Amino acid sequence: MTTPFLHINGIRKTYGDVVATDHVELSIAEGEFMTFLGPSGSGKSTTLYILAGFQDPTAGDIRLRGQSILRTPSHKRNIGMVFQRYTLFPHLSVGENVAFPLRVRRMGQAEVAAKVKRALSLVRLDGFEDRMPARMSGGQQQRVALARALVYDPPVLLMDEPLSALDKKLREEIQFEIRRIHQETGVTILYVTHDQEEALRLSDRIAIFNRGKIEQVGTGPELYANPATHFVADFIGDSAFLSGRLASLKGGRAAIRFEGGQQIVDVPLHGAGQEGQAADLMLRPERMELTPEAGPAGASLPVTVQDITFLGNCTSVAARTDWGDALTVRLNFGHPLAGRVARGDRLNVRWSPEAAHAFVRG
Amino acid sequence: MLSATSGGRGSGLGFAMPAILLLLAFFVIPVAFLLMRSVTEPAPGLQNYATLLGSTTYAKIFFNTFFVAGVVTAITVLIAFPVAWALAIMPARWSAVIFAVILLSMWTNLLARTYAWMVLLQQTGLINRMLKAIGLIDQPLQLTNNLIGVTIGMVYIMLPFMILPLLGVIRKIDPAILQAAALCGATRAQALRRVLLPLAGPGLASGGLMVFVMSLGYFVTPSLLGGTANMMLAELIAQQVQSLVNWGMGGAAAFVLLVVTLGLYAVQLRFFDQAEAR
Amino acid sequence: MLLDFDKLGAWKWALSAICAVMALFLLLPILFIVALSFGSSRWLIFPPPGWTLKWYEELFADPRWIGAALTSAKIGVIVMVLSVVLGLLASMALVRGTFRGRAVLRAFFLTPMVLPVVIVAVALYAAFLRLGLNGTLPGFVIAHLIVALPFAIITISGALETFDPSIEDAAILCGASPWEARLRVTLPGIRHGLFSAAIFSFLISWDEVVLAIFMASPALQTLPVKVWTTLRQDLTPVIAAASTLLVALTVILMIVAALIRKGKSE
Repeated sequence: MTTPFLHINGIRKTYGDVVATDHVELSIAEGEFMTFLGPSGSGKSTTLYILAGFQDPTAGDIRLRGQSILRTPSHKRNIGMVFQRYTLFPHLSVGENVAFPLRVRRMGQAEVAAKVKRALSLVRLDGFEDRMPARMSGGQQQRVALARALVYDPPVLLMDEPLSALDKKLREEIQFEIRRIHQETGVTILYVTHDQEEALRLSDRIAIFNRGKIEQVGTGPELYANPATHFVADFIGDSAFLSGRLASLKGGRAAIRFEGGQQIVDVPLHGAGQEGQAADLMLRPERMELTPEAGPAGASLPVTVQDITFLGNCTSVAARTDWGDALTVRLNFGHPLAGRVARGDRLNVRWSPEAAHAFVRG
Repeated sequence: MLSATSGGRGSGLGFAMPAILLLLAFFVIPVAFLLMRSVTEPAPGLQNYATLLGSTTYAKIFFNTFFVAGVVTAITVLIAFPVAWALAIMPARWSAVIFAVILLSMWTNLLARTYAWMVLLQQTGLINRMLKAIGLIDQPLQLTNNLIGVTIGMVYIMLPFMILPLLGVIRKIDPAILQAAALCGATRAQALRRVLLPLAGPGLASGGLMVFVMSLGYFVTPSLLGGTANMMLAELIAQQVQSLVNWGMGGAAAFVLLVVTLGLYAVQLRFFDQAEAR
Repeated sequence: MLLDFDKLGAWKWALSAICAVMALFLLLPILFIVALSFGSSRWLIFPPPGWTLKWYEELFADPRWIGAALTSAKIGVIVMVLSVVLGLLASMALVRGTFRGRAVLRAFFLTPMVLPVVIVAVALYAAFLRLGLNGTLPGFVIAHLIVALPFAIITISGALETFDPSIEDAAILCGASPWEARLRVTLPGIRHGLFSAAIFSFLISWDEVVLAIFMASPALQTLPVKVWTTLRQDLTPVIAAASTLLVALTVILMIVAALIRKGKSE
């Protein structure tokens, strides 16, 4: 087996009784764009800070090209980082901010000037050398931060929710830039976010964090098509979860019985469970359809319409099952039902059988 | 602006009138009269200023004043920076204790504090006896009735005025900026010199200027710890007026102190405005 | 990571040591006087050969010390009341007023704080000599009011600025008259600012030395003046006893202020 480029090996971090990360294990290939996705407090930022050397792990190791970096102080790790907040040095011009890592490395004047120019050009801020950070927009400041983090050619770039302070449009623009820069430089990027859309848009692979642990690692399509846990299924995609109980199990597939007595058979089951245990049926929104007439047994349920919201390209219909679980179905603009559906209507929701997954609760 | 206008008719200026009249009658007019006397007594003209700025006796007083203020400011800044820095980041339990000590010393009666130093620093005082006990000196050092005593007493009084504003400035610095500096490859010394000190700079400068200005006009500590041989400007003013009843000279010295004080505050205001605008 | 205490390495201990030494430097003189006030040595030998309360007895037996303390307290209370009332009115004008030049007026109100006290003292001394106010209670009150007022204005206008004026408007829309709204809504809303201003004003007057030296007459003097004149003669332990009582007062007022702050945050 070859040594991975970057190996996060069983990292555990506790503060007193609080466990921030618990045996985080991950290998990252050179040049890969890896995103840590999860809610706040899930341990993704802690893992990043340990990589940066801002915090020391309670146990575990981090190896870069086979060498442990934990004993190296931050300033000798040669890692780049873009922070969530704007961290440009407010007393230095843009050019001096980008030059800072080179100056503390005592690089010659001519080389500094050339590298700064190249780095600013990479983030498309040519000619901004003399501008003060306070006179720039948030988006521009984060680009300068990116140039500062890349100017010394670090092997690894850490990004800690760098776009969370920006508005949606600007965020998408800079996401595009980050992808371009990743392709142009080939730098290995570890990116932390709680925004699933951002993660899907940017990453080669995504590690889903929950309660200090990695629940699943995979490409976006893998995670979406085959979520390993209830949490992953919930976090990626706006899915509906209908609560029931396991009726029968056979070879990784199960039947689920709902309160009203309806039974959905032969869905893939995730997690170990036994008959009678509570379980949820997950349905992806784009695989659901709303029809007046009932569909084939086992892939259809009657629902009552609760609310209708027009969203432009589609109409969102909120409905409830007979036992009270909520689900949302989208009708594309021009759908025959879109103009006619009304609150209180009894309709049927249908889905293609391969789109349903069952998750054991707990 | 409903609430400002609907009760009292007009713009609200009326509310300020009692305070304005008080300050006019008992602050502006008396100070103006005092300054006027510097050019009218004993005879009209600028001879008071000529004496004040021309004689070596007064030159020594000016030197004492600016020298002590300068030394006090320098020592205060040197102590206050590491203390404020530590207070900003140390565990809250420790910093609360040190903070309480600073407030206690700041709020304790000025004369009580000065008295403590007079006793501590006298020839038979604790400091001299300790220095002798550990063998550093044979003869007691003269620590009171000279500028050494004044400097120690003033540093003691000025420290809180430097630490507290500086603490505010350092607390406002985002720790992530220093983390960024470290990841950029800066050693602790480089981060201190190139990032932390420049960011704390405006606080250091304005706090230092404030301490300097306050020291220039200080009266109590210099007169109790410095003795009459090492007079400073504020004592000169008091002495001219109270003991010598020379209102002309007292007024002239007061005018010089006033101009220097207001001038330095103007510098400070400008400085702050620029720092804010950046 | 200079702003992360746990990542400072050896610097952490250097900074802590400087802090500890500075705290001792600030604290020791105060503890020293307290100890001396109970020491039996008239010559202030430390550590004292024995312990005694005689300096306190001497202090309380001397009607001049008691008289000076009473005068200080009387002046302090009057200054406190006037300072809060005038400071509140001036703050209303500064914060809620609509007239032009409010920034200039604010700077004007704060100048007595900025100028060296000795200038104000000498100027007032001259004025009071003419007006016959020297050595009188009103003279002391006016002099102390001039230097206490800026602190009251800073504290109260700070509290007013954080108090949303639309709450007062809401009270008026509920049917309260503007004066009623101010009295029943705004004043309670800024009461912490008013308390702080009152404590500040009292302490400034109580501790004030320079103005008092110029205002005092043999018949009427404040406690700091009495300490001052005694100090210039000799360093008697009676002053240590008086100082200890002043320190005790400071500690009490600090605790009161801390309780007020605590009440504010709840």
